[in-house]
Amino acid sequence: MKRMTGLAIALLLLVSTVSVGAQNVQKPLEITFWSLFTGGDGEFFDAMVKEFNASQNEIVMKTDTVKFDNYYTKLTAALAARTAPDVVVMHQDRLSTFVPSGVLLPLDAYAQRAGIDLSTFEQAPLNNCKIDNKLYAIPLDVHPIIMYCNLDLFAKAGITKLPETLSELFTAAETIQKKTGAEGIAADNTTATYKAYTLTRMFLSMLMEQGVSVFNADNTKANFNNDAGVKAYQALSDMVNKYKVTPKGLDYDSSVADFRLGKAGIHFNGVWVTGLFEQQPGLNFIAVKFPALFGTNAAWAGSHTFAIPAQKSIDEKKVMGAMKFIDWMTNHGYLWAKAGHVPTRKTAVDTKEFKSLPHRADYADAAKYVFPTPPTSKWPQCYDTISDSLEESIALNRDAKTALTRMEQTINEILKK
Amino acid sequence: MLLHDADHKKRDILFFSLPYLTVYVAFMVFPVVYGFYLSFFDWNILSTKVFVGLKNYVEAFSDPEFLSSFFHTIQFVVISTPLIIVVGFIMALIAVRPTKTGRISETVFFLPYMLSTSVVGTLWAWIFQKNYGLANQLLKSVGLSPLGWLTDPSIAMTSIIIATLWWTAGFNMILFSAGMKQIPEEIYDAAKIDGAGSFTTLTKITIPLLRDTSLLVLVLQIIASFKVFGQVYVMTGGGPYGTTRVLVQYVYKTGFSYFRLGYASAMSILLFMVILLVSVIQFLRKPDETQ
Repeated sequence: MKRMTGLAIALLLLVSTVSVGAQNVQKPLEITFWSLFTGGDGEFFDAMVKEFNASQNEIVMKTDTVKFDNYYTKLTAALAARTAPDVVVMHQDRLSTFVPSGVLLPLDAYAQRAGIDLSTFEQAPLNNCKIDNKLYAIPLDVHPIIMYCNLDLFAKAGITKLPETLSELFTAAETIQKKTGAEGIAADNTTATYKAYTLTRMFLSMLMEQGVSVFNADNTKANFNNDAGVKAYQALSDMVNKYKVTPKGLDYDSSVADFRLGKAGIHFNGVWVTGLFEQQPGLNFIAVKFPALFGTNAAWAGSHTFAIPAQKSIDEKKVMGAMKFIDWMTNHGYLWAKAGHVPTRKTAVDTKEFKSLPHRADYADAAKYVFPTPPTSKWPQCYDTISDSLEESIALNRDAKTALTRMEQTINEILKK
Repeated sequence: MLLHDADHKKRDILFFSLPYLTVYVAFMVFPVVYGFYLSFFDWNILSTKVFVGLKNYVEAFSDPEFLSSFFHTIQFVVISTPLIIVVGFIMALIAVRPTKTGRISETVFFLPYMLSTSVVGTLWAWIFQKNYGLANQLLKSVGLSPLGWLTDPSIAMTSIIIATLWWTAGFNMILFSAGMKQIPEEIYDAAKIDGAGSFTTLTKITIPLLRDTSLLVLVLQIIASFKVFGQVYVMTGGGPYGTTRVLVQYVYKTGFSYFRLGYASAMSILLFMVILLVSVIQFLRKPDETQ
């Protein structure tokens, strides 16, 4: 009997040491996330996540799915079923589709608890993630529309100064066309694989440069059938129809290919093509912020953000882990900048690593001039519709008043529904 | 004993079709019924459904994008259907010949049909690409000026039809050649003895005896053409400025990009009714003509 007791005690001791041991090698917290990066930037994102996982041993980030052909469709379904992962990447302009349904957590309190100093963020992109004064996402980057210039063609045409005003832009483009035979401005104005979004992005930027937002204050009506709208539309139409510095019928892929192959002097596009152009041997270019064509600087921008979906029940530990991940990712934005994007956090911009990247510093200040997309769930549809409408009117060389009146009618119809 | 067997047979039939039936009900019957139900609501997946009666249907008839998409679909159906059927028929005439060329051409004609929409769409988008595509390189090499195959609104739909023709005519060929192989050889022999030429044989024997097959091909082709989506989505994205946007694409955009599921369902139901109507008319004509 005594022996039995001794054995039992020994066993108990053994079990308890094992469990103590297990407590010491605590299992890391597993946090799931979805991201939408499948193109060139996907590699950079995956590398960052890997580095985050290796940098500490409390949290392991796990992605469920690698490739998404239709990210938002799947994400919406998952949010509706409350089966979305712990963290998701989301474009800033999608927030107003989701926030009103209460499927995303407000992050202000969590950011404070996680010790994320929000003042280290560039304020414009951060404020764009607020709805009704509550923060629903934390921006990883902004990807504004910028201007790419082929320096060899500029030199060949004898232009020494980058264009800053509308007339300088057209003069430069015309000179390049005359003296080098290359295309003046490669800007897509026809739908092929993509809609002619560049027209819309330029239109929105040019409106905002004149201090005009595309919709009225409460997003119930179009606000571009006015002087500012006429000037912006006229500039786009002149580029194609009057000065003919942009070929009619140019689609997105061709516009990128033309600039990449050195066949175009100026190219308007988002920062995401910087990486692609860098890899092109012999292409000597500069990338600068969208010029202040109408006096002040403003640039349309997309923004990748992190948001935290509401779950059936909120697991505080997971939310805090997710915040830690977001903090790390935004602080290491210079790694993300390799993909071309502009980091949103000053702590990422003010690093040796960021400053040593070529081209990025030339347009890093573009983040200061980005403006929010209208906070309405109708925005994705309006964005598509404005693109179709501008494309049509410019292709048919409609006058500004006709073009804008037609576009206004369609947009008002959508906003009314 | 016999009765017992019959019972077993019944049970087995049910048993063996159960896996298929389950999938069919879950992924076909239920969504169709649910879609019909949804068409009377306003719903964005995340919100609660709001009953709106016939509002979605009324909206469709005053929505210029729905009407233009519907028109483009009809345009596609009217041009592509006869073309794909006739080409499929000619392919079948070549493929049924009991020669080596016949057998090889049957395979060659059918191969494209095995490719997925996205492969076909991407392939033809490259061929028709304005500045770097094969089609324009060919035009330039013979001294013609390049065309905006996918970017010129007057020919973009034609380009899509060309791609669709190349892709799907092989399917109709299979149906036609199956039909042709069932026509007894004696009839042709008899005709030959009577001195009928190959044109007479074609118009007096092959075509009339293929009536049932032709009807099947016609109905299937009309339905398939009405459902056109993938190749348009990949090749032109509905552009230039919406001039090739087809109905299913608009339904898809409305439902899964703009998340107006009620309205998208209502438009699908309208398309369904049109297809149903066309099919019923086709099949109703059949008994009169054969009697």
